[in-house]
Amino acid sequence: MRTRGNTAGRVRTGLLLSLIAAALALMLLSLPLCEFTSSVYSKRLGNTKVGDEKYVTARSEAEAELARHIQETGRTAELREDVLERVNSKGVTTTMITLTVEEKQTRSGWAFMASGLTAGRELLLLAACVALSGVFLAVSVLRSPGKAPRQLSGMDKGLRGAACWLALAALIILPVFMLTCNVELIRRVSLGAAGLTDATATVSRIDRFLFEGKAGENALTMAAGMSLRRLWPLWALLPVLAALLCGAILVCRGSLGAQLARGALYLFVIVLCVLILYPYYVMLITAFRDNAESTDMNFLHLWPTRWLWGNLNAIVDRGVLQYLGNSILLAGGATAIALLCGIPAAYAMARMRFRGRNAYLGFIIMSQMFAPVVLLVGISTLMRNLGLNDSIPGLMLINAAFNQAFAVWLLHGTFRAISPEMEQAACIDGCGTVGALIRVLLPMAMPGVVTTLIFVFINAWNEYTISTVLISTPAKRPITVGITQFSSFNMIEWHLLFASALLATIPVVILFMCIEKHLVSGLTAGGVKG
Amino acid sequence: MKKLVSLFLCLALLLSCAAFASAEEDVITLDVIICQYGPNTQDWFLGTGMDGSSFVEKFEAANPGIKLNLEVVSWNDVYTVVSTRISDHNAPDILNIDVFADYANEGLLLPVSDWCPEDLYADFFPSFIEQSRIGDTVWAVPDLASARALYYNVDILNEVGVEVPTTWAELEDVAQQIIDFYDGEIYPWGLDMTTDEGQAAFAYYTWGNGGGFVDAEGNWALNSDENVEAIEFAIGLVNKGYTNPSPATQTRYDLQDMFGAGKLAMVIGPNSIPSYMAQKGYTGINYATAGIPANAGKTSSSVGVMDRVMAFRDDSYPDQAKRNEAIGKFAKFFYDPANYVGWVSMEDFLPAVNSAVAELVAQNPSFEAWLNVLDSAQFYPTTKAEWADVKIGSINAEQQALIGGNVRELLDALQAQITGK
Amino acid sequence: MDAIHYRRWWTPYLWLLPSVLLMLIFVVFPIGIVFRLSFSEISRAGVVGGFVGLDNFIAAVREAAFPTVMWNTLIWVVSVVGLSTLIGFVVALVLNSEFHGRKLARSIVVFPWATSLVVQASIWNYIIKAEYGNLNSLLLNTGLISHAVNWRSSYQVEFIWECGVGIFVTIPFVAFTVLAGLQSIDGAYYEAATVDGAGFWKKLRHVTLPLVRPSLTISTVLNIIYVFNSFPIIYTITKGAPAHKTDTMVTYLYMLAFYEQQKGPATAMSMIGFILLCVVAGLYMAATMRKEAQ
Repeated sequence: MRTRGNTAGRVRTGLLLSLIAAALALMLLSLPLCEFTSSVYSKRLGNTKVGDEKYVTARSEAEAELARHIQETGRTAELREDVLERVNSKGVTTTMITLTVEEKQTRSGWAFMASGLTAGRELLLLAACVALSGVFLAVSVLRSPGKAPRQLSGMDKGLRGAACWLALAALIILPVFMLTCNVELIRRVSLGAAGLTDATATVSRIDRFLFEGKAGENALTMAAGMSLRRLWPLWALLPVLAALLCGAILVCRGSLGAQLARGALYLFVIVLCVLILYPYYVMLITAFRDNAESTDMNFLHLWPTRWLWGNLNAIVDRGVLQYLGNSILLAGGATAIALLCGIPAAYAMARMRFRGRNAYLGFIIMSQMFAPVVLLVGISTLMRNLGLNDSIPGLMLINAAFNQAFAVWLLHGTFRAISPEMEQAACIDGCGTVGALIRVLLPMAMPGVVTTLIFVFINAWNEYTISTVLISTPAKRPITVGITQFSSFNMIEWHLLFASALLATIPVVILFMCIEKHLVSGLTAGGVKG
Repeated sequence: MKKLVSLFLCLALLLSCAAFASAEEDVITLDVIICQYGPNTQDWFLGTGMDGSSFVEKFEAANPGIKLNLEVVSWNDVYTVVSTRISDHNAPDILNIDVFADYANEGLLLPVSDWCPEDLYADFFPSFIEQSRIGDTVWAVPDLASARALYYNVDILNEVGVEVPTTWAELEDVAQQIIDFYDGEIYPWGLDMTTDEGQAAFAYYTWGNGGGFVDAEGNWALNSDENVEAIEFAIGLVNKGYTNPSPATQTRYDLQDMFGAGKLAMVIGPNSIPSYMAQKGYTGINYATAGIPANAGKTSSSVGVMDRVMAFRDDSYPDQAKRNEAIGKFAKFFYDPANYVGWVSMEDFLPAVNSAVAELVAQNPSFEAWLNVLDSAQFYPTTKAEWADVKIGSINAEQQALIGGNVRELLDALQAQITGK
Repeated sequence: MDAIHYRRWWTPYLWLLPSVLLMLIFVVFPIGIVFRLSFSEISRAGVVGGFVGLDNFIAAVREAAFPTVMWNTLIWVVSVVGLSTLIGFVVALVLNSEFHGRKLARSIVVFPWATSLVVQASIWNYIIKAEYGNLNSLLLNTGLISHAVNWRSSYQVEFIWECGVGIFVTIPFVAFTVLAGLQSIDGAYYEAATVDGAGFWKKLRHVTLPLVRPSLTISTVLNIIYVFNSFPIIYTITKGAPAHKTDTMVTYLYMLAFYEQQKGPATAMSMIGFILLCVVAGLYMAATMRKEAQ
């Protein structure tokens, strides 16, 4: 347990750290943050030679451009000539010449803020956060010096909390600013120059910001050839802002370690969730794009330019709902059969003592070791002999059988984990073994049953290879096979493929989310004692 | 205990229901497997894609007494499905696929003369029929074909200031200049050495160097000097950075999309590329076709690819004549210009029968030029028994070479593997 | 533990019967057929011929790609099982601690489990396409990169991606099995450890790990089996190209059977795989059981 004096000391240290960091941050913002190299003029000449006619014309054109630029803007620029030589198959030397007129300038944070660019606004916000955070901390500490965080009044507590959040916001805004610079000043402009997006507003702002509004019509070309280098003050801001945040936390809470650990936990969870959701985001946006945009090689948009709900109609027209229905039937049936066979077996193994019990458990695990892919020929022969090929019941039985191992293993574990006393009591009451199982044990073992159900359902839902071979009537295909029609010899229709995949994923995800609570407790009962 | 008993009853019921489902006399049912060529194949055969009806419906209406159990299978799965069903003595009656020699040599197929009506047989392009002949027997009929040519982006070549290459040396020049001009942002040359269609690349280069799969006598000549040189040249294009970055996994779809987006300057492709570009909405691209470049002093040769329809033997069927007739009726109906023209133009391939030509040319004048290309095209040696192995082996050799294998050794090994047996 | 007394010796077997029948008919019978096939001659088109002894096995082992494929299988199983267990364990620890939005986070973690492997593999295949993949799109549009990157520049890199996708889809399974184990731990153990002055790591090593081990063991054995038999990821992303350099045993034997028309060696290969799996899973179980006994 910490003493009060100690805590007050920490608050003082934190305040000092924060104020120094805030001042440093504001100072760094007035230094040059980024260096821009823009090519005012660029011309590439293929299949030419230094000194030939084509070259001389181009060179004089470039020099005129340089002169005009210097005269018009009054800034310095230079002409660069890159020559690439090679000998072609006929033994003739040809060259590729690039003529570039370049101009360099650096810009400070304040210049950014005055520019009207989105990046500038972000920087403005950052500066505001830093300043406010510092002020809040100073005010709250001055109002109640020497008090431990726990004894603070509401007002001061609020101020300190706000200061913390502001510091955190500043730390988050910084990387966002760095990325925005790239997007706004480089990518959007170069897409605009290629005629792919409208960048007029951005370009006119860049013109004011970088070329003092003198680039005029050339602004787009100049900006399109621009490259950006981040200078050290920008990088230095990172540790400074981190220090600000640490200081604020110290002032606010009196200690640092626990808060940082908590922050790391949240960071981990957020990163994890974003990573997991990423493919679903891709599936979602692709599902509503048109065919051309699904293979967009200019990487224009993060979202579909137009959300095409018609894609859903298109896949429904091509039978996806029917496939979905088949899959539900198939998975549901397989689950029912697996449970109907699995529950008595698991019950016998959990509650009765007989020869061959362990052998059966071992056998069941062994049977899992063949991938269904491997057994295609055997399964196909079997099903034809039983008259079950090309039928959904046949697929149900196969899927139930291949999931029998998991079902029996998990249910066996669940039943064993439950004390037999209740059933014994029920038996004495004259309820019979079957009655005891149904009325007493199953309700108690519900989580394990639910888990098994989900597991078998998912596996049957996802099965692909066996259905491909066994089902020959298209109207009986499950969804996994049904969606192969979207990759034909002539074309892969990514958008329709993913729209169907989305449709197929949603029911299972919803089912899973509803039942997630049972899932964990079910695995507990089965897994630990397994 | 009751529970258990009822459970058993359920199971038994389920099994028996399914077992007695199929038993009907008089009506002959044909199992047909068709490959999925385009987005609309399934709809045409089974949905509403054929003037609001489907091929199966129309056929069954026109031919009472014959039922079609028609299945449209994706190319990815068709070999799996067919070979599993053969192992299981459950081959389809009619199959549409690219290979046939293995099936024919193992006595699984019916000769075409057994089932194909004579007027229909006479309608096929004779040169196509020859591609399915082993010895004296024709085992399959062509269903469609595609011809390959060089597609190039006119704007890119103009901007760089180069002509379309006709020889390999020129190709390398042009490629280097495109690389220089665009700083490597645009790939000059498309190359597909994937398991999907790598054998086509083998044909493009070896035929362009006077080599090929077989020699003049028709014997396997996979490791000829011409072939080694040709494959080394193709691999050289990759190593010099003139091609798309991963030829072993980038399929024709990737190449066509790159070409459509203007990221690829030249690619060898089938006659269906224009409609691919239209369907995908690549409207901004200005392109043209030319002959496939060949080595200096060698003649450029077009490449033709053909798929087939074949009928499997089913000795267990009591009335063979009736079955053959039914298969014949299927073929007759399928190749009837009223049906076939619509299908070929929908899938965007070239026809295999004379009766379809006039109408297709009327629909799309560019067909005529393509048919001429096809006339002079070389085809894979699909009639040779080892072709399936050669196809896989050539792709394997290419992919080994891509990761640094010695082309000479690889082709020697392939030749030994094919002829050594 | 055995609670129910029964009079007739065959009662338990009657209870087992449906399960046994299902397994015998639909699993053991096909296995038997494949077992017989592995000793038979199978023609290229798929016609089954006579008994050929061990020829198929010899042919399978002599395939040029065999060593590569075995090596790949080893890397695939070890990396996917190992890393997904490690990461899944950490995820479970995190999901077991108290924080805002824990319920939501748990639901999200379940997602990859609930999506079919074919779909997952297609999405990832699409994401890492160099020319139009979403990864490039995302990074370019957020300014993290300034030029499109070829994310699959060589087959080694592609294989790493495949392992990555494998890990990605396996994490939820491990995480939830471990989470189940964690939730069953009595809080009293931790309190006792805290009183003894144990820190986070000490508690993890001496309380959490031993108590989670049983559920971890079973989940790892099942995981080894599932991952070894996993087929869609590799088949969708590279199909084993180039020249089987990214194939594992299951995808290789599929290609062997259905592309190269070598069904005899392919069935023999599946037998080899089965034996390997039995040995590995058996050894693993034996080893962990012994540890537990100690």
